[in-house]
Amino acid sequence: MPFLPRVPRRPAARSLARLGIGLLALALAACDRSGGAVYQQQFFAFGTLVDVTIYGADTALAQKATDAAEQDFHRMHRAWHAWHPSDLTRTNHRLATGRAFKAPASVLALIRRSRVLARRSDGLFDPAVGKLLALWGFESDTPPSGPPPDPARIKALVAAHPSMEDIEVRGDRVRCTNPAVQLDFGAFAKGYGVDQVIEHLRRLGIRNAIVDAGGDLRAIGRHGDRPWRIGIRAPRGPGVLASVEVSGDQSVFTSGDYERYFMYKGKRYHHILDPRTGYPARGAVSVTVIDPDAAVADAAATALFVAGPKQWVTIARRMGIHYVMLVDDQGTVHMNPAMAKRIHFETDKAPKVVLSPSL
Amino acid sequence: MTRADVLVVILAAALLAVLYAHFWSAPTLAAQVRVQEGNQPPRIYALDQDRVIRVRGPLGDSVLRIRHGRVRFVSSPCRGKICVHAGWLSHAGEAAACVPNRVSVQVLGQDPRFDAINS
Repeated sequence: MPFLPRVPRRPAARSLARLGIGLLALALAACDRSGGAVYQQQFFAFGTLVDVTIYGADTALAQKATDAAEQDFHRMHRAWHAWHPSDLTRTNHRLATGRAFKAPASVLALIRRSRVLARRSDGLFDPAVGKLLALWGFESDTPPSGPPPDPARIKALVAAHPSMEDIEVRGDRVRCTNPAVQLDFGAFAKGYGVDQVIEHLRRLGIRNAIVDAGGDLRAIGRHGDRPWRIGIRAPRGPGVLASVEVSGDQSVFTSGDYERYFMYKGKRYHHILDPRTGYPARGAVSVTVIDPDAAVADAAATALFVAGPKQWVTIARRMGIHYVMLVDDQGTVHMNPAMAKRIHFETDKAPKVVLSPSL
Repeated sequence: MTRADVLVVILAAALLAVLYAHFWSAPTLAAQVRVQEGNQPPRIYALDQDRVIRVRGPLGDSVLRIRHGRVRFVSSPCRGKICVHAGWLSHAGEAAACVPNRVSVQVLGQDPRFDAINS
């Protein structure tokens, strides 16, 4: 062995060997932590693709939790469907009578919660506009293809001013004073549902998870020793516009005009209707909101989309939202300073950014 | 060289291999894609073998293509075609779905760049 000294060095060699074994064990443990601890499952539920990611739970528990989530989503979907027979459609029929009745518990919870948010949004988020959504063809299994509905009918519905304020709630009894009201929780049920599922997962002992219902999500805990990494889709074209890290307990919701829409004579007609005009809201193409509560984030993303580039700051303040990113129809990104600190653009060329005053 | 020395050398070599595998083996390089129809168990395909996959959904066949390490929806019997417009997917974690036809694809990888895509 010409290249090794022949001097006996056993003690040193022994401690080196111990060091080597220690390092090896550490390296293996690190591999195990990063690779084996994530459990992910997808399923179709709630009219969308739901993706549940769980970190740091054993497989049996993660499987049990995912199954529970899937059952919850199916149950809520059946209860809240806006055009298939459900607790919600039955509630709508009885609201139309103008008489007081006992509302199903599943729908009552949504009415109570969304009424508060509708008021705080100055009516820009309002689940009472179901008749407008139906008129535009967005309450259907097959998406509409145009042309847009008769302007006179849109005008008549807007003039009737359906609003959550028209629903009186006394205990578990409700009554509606405006026959133009028809509830559609399409802009709210997903957020509320994600909150319910997260609570269920927590009761089962899950501490780190993402529940992602068709791109809108709530994340709790962390991905091991790092935060969760969330990409935000580019509203035009494939790929990711930006990313944000979340940890602890935060929901990230985006409303975009690319989700449900039809093109007619070169113009895009999407499903986020402005209750003030009866037409798809113009000015924004997507709005991303971060809030601890998924129901709030969902309602706010809709309200701020309707508010558009000129009004979103006012409405965000009214709703108590602290993180907003709005992409307008020119591709300019509007953000409040706190959001700008968290957003990392993933595009080759950073978009034009307009910072708002602090919220 | 003593036994302990040999052990140290072997351990050092093993450690090097482990560290190499952990830090250098291109963890975001996509190798496989997961294809799911409805709530059936997913099927896994290698991304390094070009092929066309037909997936039968409730509306008809969704057609996927794997080419040069990427995957995309070529066609789907839905109206919105959001799945087709999603284009090529190649990075771990990227996904596209045809919700009406209940078909989803997701690129698998060791350490995806994103844990979820908000849309």
